Amino acid sequence: MSRGDYSLSTFIWLIIAFLVIYPLSILLIESFKIAETGAFGLGNFLEFFKDTYYLKTFANTLFLSALVLLTTTVFGIPLAYILARYRQRGKTVFTALILLPIVLPAYAGVFAFVIFFGKFGTLNLLLMETGLIETPINFIYGLHGLVFIQALHMLPFIVLSLAAGFTQIDPSFEEAAEVEGATGFRRFVTITLPLCTPTYLAGAVIVFLWPFTDWLTPLILGKVDFLPSVSYINIAYHFTDTHRKYMGIVAVVVSSMVCISLFLLARWWVERKKYTGLSKGTTSEGRVIEPSPLIKTGAYLYMGLIAFIVLLTPIVLGLSAFSRRWVFQPFPTYWTLDNFRVIFAESPLLIRNSFLFSAAALLFGVVFGLPAAYIIVRTKVRGKDALDFVITLMLAFPGIAVGVSYLLAFWNTIPLATHWIIMPLALFSRRLPYFLRMAHSSYLQLDISLEEASEVSGIGKIRTFFYISLPLLIKGVLVGVVMFFIMAFQEISTAIFLYRGGWETLPIGIYLNWHRGMEFGIAAAMAFLMIVITFILLLIISRIGGGILKAAWGPGSR
Amino acid sequence: MAFIEIKNLFKRFKKVVAVNHINIDIKQGEMLTLLGPSGCGKTTTLRCVSGLERPEEGDIVIDGKSMVAKGFVQPSKRGIGMVFQNYAVWPHMKVFNNVTYGLKLHGMSKQEVREKTQRVLDLVDLNGLEERYPAQLSGGQQQRVALARALVRNPKVLLLDEPLSNLDAKLREKMRFEIKSLVKRMGITSVYVTHDQAEAMVISDRIVVMESGNVVQIGNPQEIYEKPANRFVADFIGTMNFIPCNITRFLPDKKMAHISTDFSQDILCRTPDTGATTPGKQIYASIRPEDVQIFSEPPQDTANLFRGTIAHKAYLGNFLFFFVSVNGTMIRVQAPHHLPHEEGREIYVFLNPQKCMILF
Ligand SMILES: Nc1ncnc2c1ncn2[C@@H]1O[C@H](COP(=O)(O)OP(=O)(O)O)[C@@H](O)[C@H]1O
Ligand SMILES: [Mg+2]
Repeated sequence: MSRGDYSLSTFIWLIIAFLVIYPLSILLIESFKIAETGAFGLGNFLEFFKDTYYLKTFANTLFLSALVLLTTTVFGIPLAYILARYRQRGKTVFTALILLPIVLPAYAGVFAFVIFFGKFGTLNLLLMETGLIETPINFIYGLHGLVFIQALHMLPFIVLSLAAGFTQIDPSFEEAAEVEGATGFRRFVTITLPLCTPTYLAGAVIVFLWPFTDWLTPLILGKVDFLPSVSYINIAYHFTDTHRKYMGIVAVVVSSMVCISLFLLARWWVERKKYTGLSKGTTSEGRVIEPSPLIKTGAYLYMGLIAFIVLLTPIVLGLSAFSRRWVFQPFPTYWTLDNFRVIFAESPLLIRNSFLFSAAALLFGVVFGLPAAYIIVRTKVRGKDALDFVITLMLAFPGIAVGVSYLLAFWNTIPLATHWIIMPLALFSRRLPYFLRMAHSSYLQLDISLEEASEVSGIGKIRTFFYISLPLLIKGVLVGVVMFFIMAFQEISTAIFLYRGGWETLPIGIYLNWHRGMEFGIAAAMAFLMIVITFILLLIISRIGGGILKAAWGPGSR
Repeated sequence: MAFIEIKNLFKRFKKVVAVNHINIDIKQGEMLTLLGPSGCGKTTTLRCVSGLERPEEGDIVIDGKSMVAKGFVQPSKRGIGMVFQNYAVWPHMKVFNNVTYGLKLHGMSKQEVREKTQRVLDLVDLNGLEERYPAQLSGGQQQRVALARALVRNPKVLLLDEPLSNLDAKLREKMRFEIKSLVKRMGITSVYVTHDQAEAMVISDRIVVMESGNVVQIGNPQEIYEKPANRFVADFIGTMNFIPCNITRFLPDKKMAHISTDFSQDILCRTPDTGATTPGKQIYASIRPEDVQIFSEPPQDTANLFRGTIAHKAYLGNFLFFFVSVNGTMIRVQAPHHLPHEEGREIYVFLNPQKCMILF
């Protein structure tokens, strides 16, 4: 172990300590603070678990998680199977469409669906016009709508993890079952699905945790009795009511605990049950099936339906963005650029802030991520596993926890929250693992002997890094960079707690426009703008050649 | 009457022809091996027999019943057991469940299932490991589970695709004999795929040598070794010296011929059994290293005797290996290890006319 590695590792740990461990500890400590006396004790937690309202909220959230997981699984299994196993045209396009929600901000979807499925939304109006129904159907407001929207947003994770399983498992496992006499559905249930459980679980845990993270969708749909929404309301709306504030903090801590426990449990289980690496040795590239025409048609219809629902988001937002006064009409009638004029003329600040904060966060990400990946992959510095663990754990933390903890930690003792730098810092630490994972996996693919050859020929470690490692890593790193930028650009859960007048970003602008005056047009235009920017960034990724799927999935899969 | 007939079998993957119109007959109770280098179509042939692959042309007949030509018969209906190269032992099931999977599907009573399983586990020496998961077994044990699973339904035919290739060398040698005696005891007709010639020699009643989708030779191990059909077979099985040559004249019985080479004089050589030679094609006088003899002094008989120089010498424990240069052509010689010759020394090599053959 060289001294350089050692000081690098210390540097990384200092950053982690300051930006992760310190604020999260403050969050934990604060949750034990009794509002009335200022003393510390278990009072808040006791109250939380005695209060029927909070208990109900907790149960609601678990229930919602279960429903979302169930829905994504039921719809995801056939989808993943079709994408992984059937030989058919247009697979790439459908894959891209079905996975789109990963890169779209969740709240964009919510607005689109409210416009389309709302009480006097497009669908209801069309149905009433054709005389199929008399009174509007409540498609979206309520638990069912919540499950629908969250499930659609998380569907790609399940599809990707299952599809990975379906392609990765050795074909001979299924062939052996075929020889033994198990065909069709039976073989699928007894052999294929069980062998996919480890990969499935990796995606399932991310899906299950989403209702513990997403506070905005319930809020917009008017069903707020879920942990993250309650935390948000308690902390953001009732900042003066210290009692409610502390109950909000407790709710955040409870959510975080649930998230971390489940995340670790899933990881532990996946590690234990890894089947895929067990054997590999056939020529074929996985089982690809030529389905019968009937099944093929069904598969196309099914994929088409899902793709249509996914595409509703950009289409509806686009229609809404370029129109005004779109109410009580199935489609807009008055076209205008007004919304964009308002955005660009009256609040160019939002766009500027969004780019500035994301870029700054990205800079932190690179400066931190590359050395951290180097330490974890290439050195034997003591505690590197712990480092990896802590950083990975950030994947599980709800964004709301990061936001609240920063608010608490950087207010009085270290008054960082008065400077705008807090925004990119928070974005950075929220997405800490993403960039690192990307750099990490590129590093793993880089053969160490290439670096060693350089060092042996007398070139120092640092120059080796810049001359040899970086050029070879650059592709993976660039994809990571863009992906990180997209994530930071869309971030709202953390930012919503920290922004002050003048620091608003596009996502915050969307939220405020909806919140203050139900200005759907402008909110939609902003969301549409974000989608366009995201698309441009994705285009850059595919130009770099990293593969959008890999970029989107790479970090989450670990 | 053959028990399995592979008739005019043809299978391609897009542009790659994997199996090119081959014909093989397999007798009841026979252990037949498909042998050839990687990519020559062994696995594809085996998978066509199992029904995991549908051939484009030709037919598979098992026990008198057509499997392809008169309607495709699913793998599970063919009465076969199969051992996969990577075992394909299901990692999420215990040994017991792995073995009984197929039995249960065929609606057997619990009692019967247990008895059959017990018997087959006895047979492959896995008793007491029923409750283990595959991950808790060694490679050799997993291999036995695969074997037990293939045998438990008393198949008429056992198909094995490189079943030993993932084991370490020592275990591999031991398992060859075990598999052979097990299969022979049960009297199952079997098709065994391997690229390891030594394994094929040990295990087979007959060997089918394949090259890029074609059958090159079928015969028992001795025939294959002693009378290889061509240069490819001779080179693939064992080691062979090839000396480019031309035929000068045949002896009256046509069984032997004089051939001219770069050497000082003609060589007397066996002609191929088929008799005729294709004009215009390069032929080779071929002899195995162990059939070449070395002398320090020229013996009485001077036919097929040549002067050469020892270029390299290697001590291989049970024998010595020489590279002898005869007029610039390297001849490999395997000799008893008590020969004292050193590198650079002049010696005489004798190419036994009965062991020296013409190959294409
Ligand atoms: N599923 C497949 N798809 C495409 N080509 C294949 C497939 N299986 C085998 N092949 C090709 O067919 C040829 C024969 O393969 P195989 O039967 O596996 O050979 P062997 O078992 O003798 O090594 C090879 O060229 C291989 O690349
Ligand atoms: Mg093979």
